Amino acid sequence: MPEPNYPWGGEFTTGPPDGCVAVVLLNIEYTPPPSVAIFGKLKTENIGIEKIVANVISNPHIRFVVVCGEEIRGHRSGSSLLALHRHGIDTHHRIIDAPGAIPYIENLSEDAITRFREQISIIDYISVNDSTRITAEITTLDAQAPPSFGEPYIAIRLRPEATTSIEDARALHAKITIDYLGRVKRRGE
Amino acid sequence: MFSFTKPQHAFELGSITFGGQPGEHPTVLFGGLFFKGVPDFKTASTHLAAMLKIGEETGMPVVPDLFIRKEEYIDPILSFLEQHLPEAHPFSVDIIEPSLKVKVLESLHDHDLLARTIYNSLHIGVTAPERETLKRCTPAMALIVAFNPKDASPDGRIEVLENGAHLLDRGLLAVASSLGIEKILVDTAALAPGENSGAALASLPVVKEEYGLPVGCAIHNVVEKSKWLSRYGSVKATVDVASNAGVALFGGDFALFGPIEHAPVVVPLMAWFDMVVSEYAEAYFGVCPSERHPRRVFYP
Repeated sequence: MPEPNYPWGGEFTTGPPDGCVAVVLLNIEYTPPPSVAIFGKLKTENIGIEKIVANVISNPHIRFVVVCGEEIRGHRSGSSLLALHRHGIDTHHRIIDAPGAIPYIENLSEDAITRFREQISIIDYISVNDSTRITAEITTLDAQAPPSFGEPYIAIRLRPEATTSIEDARALHAKITIDYLGRVKRRGE
Repeated sequence: MFSFTKPQHAFELGSITFGGQPGEHPTVLFGGLFFKGVPDFKTASTHLAAMLKIGEETGMPVVPDLFIRKEEYIDPILSFLEQHLPEAHPFSVDIIEPSLKVKVLESLHDHDLLARTIYNSLHIGVTAPERETLKRCTPAMALIVAFNPKDASPDGRIEVLENGAHLLDRGLLAVASSLGIEKILVDTAALAPGENSGAALASLPVVKEEYGLPVGCAIHNVVEKSKWLSRYGSVKATVDVASNAGVALFGGDFALFGPIEHAPVVVPLMAWFDMVVSEYAEAYFGVCPSERHPRRVFYP
């Protein structure tokens, strides 16, 4: 049985699983060549990056991540991904030196992030929109044909312990009760 | 349909009231402008006038939410609202980039507009310069987005409001208070499908009972991210506007409904839901609708 939390959801397209390149698309309309293992758009500097990390480290054949297109305004997701690869996270789980608005990695273990930083090299093509140039870079990376990094790393999504009680069938949430008319009260009051 | 035991705050800004018990005040509807490209002020003025008109006709309070993407757009957008929005009518400014937030706040101060401003938004990514600027240039009202990157449940949302979920030195409510922001709206942070998207709605009554503050969200964002709906043609647009009904039914006080051009559908739709909520709330809880409630407009 596959781990139910894997692969992590998102909008991506997969190619040959033994491809060594993954492509992260920022603000760009571009379809990478068929050799690419996985590509998709990145929007947010927190959950979006987590999905990329989780899915990339699950495939040890991926050794390069190309980040291309115009930066996502405000979120600065591409630069935040680069910062994660360069510096990792601090004790508050904030990506060190990330310029994004809310660059927090909360659903991945530090081991998973370390693995990501070690497994791949990142190619900074932020602001590059020339598809010919991006494709040429991917072709060059493909030609390097690096070996697999080893075993897949399955990043289990960290989930807080469930605290919700379903004892009261009319309760929407453990903190409140709702009587048959619809009056909401804090539980226990 | 709900009624809350906790006393509910109702904040006034201009002629609009935010909060209270369900059925008391109509849902405040935020229509967004300037999301993409270079601001098109001619089209924007048409859409804004249409939203204000249908709001007036139905009794529904409407607020333009001005998305500001670049520094060079700040002054033209503020001039636009000075020209096209009735005096004292509130508006919100939606800015993502932290450095741009600082510049917008300073411009709002210079234009003497802070008393009408709803700041969109304060969240766990708040920076030191932003805090400093908010102290000097304090908007009348702020949306606090209860986004918690590690816990998408209602508990996670309460955690960021209460103690900052170890991402901040204190909870977002205390941060807002320390900055002198007195009128607070809590946005329960609608996330993408697969990210516990339903929790944005489920959190509405939970947060409202916990704090008695006005609550709402941009639930239509979940629809926008539901790519599979695109297979069914115009259905996606229908679901997008209809999704806002969830806010009224879950006891919410405001909805950020997305592009302002949806106002001609969203506004009467929400007036209808507010009316059915009001009828129940009055019958069972004795909550009378306010003077300008759509129920009074259509059933005087």
